[in-house]
Amino acid sequence: MIHSTFIKELKELSRDGRVRISFLIVVLLMAVATWISKSQYTTINEQYQEAETAERHIWEAQGEKNPHSAAHYGTYAFKPKYPLSLVDHGVDKFTGTSIFLEAHKRNEAQFSKAADQTGLARFGDLTPDFVLLFILPLLIVFLGYNAFTKEKEMGTLVLLKSQGTPVGKLIFGKWLGIFTPIFITVALLFIVAGIVLSNLNDFGVFSWTSLGVMFLVYLAYYIIFINLVLFISSKMKKSGISLVLSLGAWILACLAVPKAASNMAESQYPYPTRQEFAASITKDQKSGIDGHDPWNKQAKMLENEVLKQHNVDSLEQLPFNFDAYRMQKGEEHTAEIYFKHYKHLKTQFEQQSKLYRNLAVLSPFLPTRFMSMAVANTDYSTHWDFADAAETYRVDLQAFLNGNFAENSSYGEWSYRADESTWKEMPAFDYDPPELSEILSRNSSNSAILSAWILGSFSLLFFTTKKL
Amino acid sequence: MITTNNLSKVYGDITVLDSLNLNIKAGDLYCLLGANGAGKTTTINLLLGFIKPTSGSSFINGLAISENPKKTKKHLAYIPENLMLYPNLSAVENLDYFSGIGGNQLNKAQLEGFLEEAGLQTSAFHQRISTFSKGMRQKVGIALALAKDASVLLLDEPTSGLDPKASNEFGLLLQKLRNKGVAILMATHDLFRAKEIATHIGIMKNGQLKQEFVADEISLGDLEHAYLKTMEYKEAVL
Repeated sequence: MIHSTFIKELKELSRDGRVRISFLIVVLLMAVATWISKSQYTTINEQYQEAETAERHIWEAQGEKNPHSAAHYGTYAFKPKYPLSLVDHGVDKFTGTSIFLEAHKRNEAQFSKAADQTGLARFGDLTPDFVLLFILPLLIVFLGYNAFTKEKEMGTLVLLKSQGTPVGKLIFGKWLGIFTPIFITVALLFIVAGIVLSNLNDFGVFSWTSLGVMFLVYLAYYIIFINLVLFISSKMKKSGISLVLSLGAWILACLAVPKAASNMAESQYPYPTRQEFAASITKDQKSGIDGHDPWNKQAKMLENEVLKQHNVDSLEQLPFNFDAYRMQKGEEHTAEIYFKHYKHLKTQFEQQSKLYRNLAVLSPFLPTRFMSMAVANTDYSTHWDFADAAETYRVDLQAFLNGNFAENSSYGEWSYRADESTWKEMPAFDYDPPELSEILSRNSSNSAILSAWILGSFSLLFFTTKKL
Repeated sequence: MITTNNLSKVYGDITVLDSLNLNIKAGDLYCLLGANGAGKTTTINLLLGFIKPTSGSSFINGLAISENPKKTKKHLAYIPENLMLYPNLSAVENLDYFSGIGGNQLNKAQLEGFLEEAGLQTSAFHQRISTFSKGMRQKVGIALALAKDASVLLLDEPTSGLDPKASNEFGLLLQKLRNKGVAILMATHDLFRAKEIATHIGIMKNGQLKQEFVADEISLGDLEHAYLKTMEYKEAVL
């Protein structure tokens, strides 16, 4: 019976011109979105490779120079692009692509795509994740809204009931009839995406496993939508009402709840403004050692402590350049302050994420979006991870430069010039994103919410629909 | 065989079926006549198990419907007033689906055989139902009953809206089924067709079976007279 209903549903769908056109539109949208993304990202990746190589060359070709001048001269940490970012752009557009690494200061990532766009960017981009997250659920609504109501309206349900058809089997047959074309379409799209991604040169390491996980996440999302739409259709008598309610569910899940969640998160756990953030850092910096100011109270304390430690009377007698040593201590103090303030930001971010997870009870969109971005390495966590790695590199770089200055010169010898080969000794910044296992572990709550949605929606459909 | 014992259905204060007693044997064609709201469709819905009786009992081939709703449906075929099938599927595909969900998997030749037996022209077998007239759809309904090998057939106003030719053809098909031993209960307004094809006729009003006749023992004129009298209508004087 399930098989008969399944085959019948497939035949009906395949012969319905509206369905054929809808599928064609979705596939075309996806093809265009993938093509646009591929072109954009190939260009961006080329720019990334070019910039990274050029920047390293500039760093290494500084010639003889005082290490502290080199520290101020600075370098860049570039955020790599990952293959799956082609599928889900995530927050990449807003977070910036590179961080300037310099002495005494932790900089924010800059050169975000959004900053370069005009007001037209408010219309959003046609990206594969837009099609996967918004358009495909809409297609499910159009496929399923009248699955049962049309049987009621046409009168075929009476005939089905007179045949003694068990409701559960009828529902499952119809469920399969909608799930199968969605599954085939999405599977084909992901396979094509996989083939395209695995053939891109110099585009990070592509992993079929990650793509497979992303596919499963979206499949779970679609299963939930199929269940909800069929549930609505089973409870309604008129197709029109079922369509309106199904569209209402789509609007709520895909548009209203995510936007409301964003507003709530912002109002409950606000980030400090840029000015407040900078002012707090400056205030804390003043309370500690200033590497550039030998008359600073803390600098004087450090001086006395070091002299005592080395059992000498003057800084000139020290076996290293105290100016450089003091700057390193100032650097360490600044790094601690930045760590403290960024930790607060991170806490706010985690609180916001927690709120999002709580609101995911209202919409399967949220856990799907978070998991998709995480697997694509385009979420905020990956950005934080990158920014932290860049900061760690900056701290190491400053330690290396101050160390070189301290060890190879004496107190007051600002004329010291490090050898031109010095710069090569500091390895280039290299960032590896979190492993898939770590990403999944970080997102275990999202997986759990998505699983709960699947179970809940299946129960709603099968256990509350005893009668049609 | 269809049996009802004091079958009643009450909605609030309204009695829509009042102590109906029927006994329709194999090969009988029982026509229930009556105006709208007389209780004909309620009777059929009770026999189909779509609604539960307030009191009384009903049986299909000796099986109590309320106790064996699934089993009794295996013996039943039902053709509503306006038989709607899946418009994007052909006659063969519709028959295949409805037989399939009833647990009766048939091959193409068998399906075509039943459609042919039901009088559908061969050229229509693989046409989509959306192109079918009501008469053609009713024939698919009969084919469904044949395919199911149903021993009981319930019909709710099946000839309403059919042209005389189609209505006559439908009547002949029912005769054929009756000859095969199928017990048929048909709710209708059509006195003429009832007299033509029925073995027994009952007249219902306000949920009660007011009169019963053996079709061969009453003329069409007397049947009409009895019907109008039961309905308390005035007879037209020509």
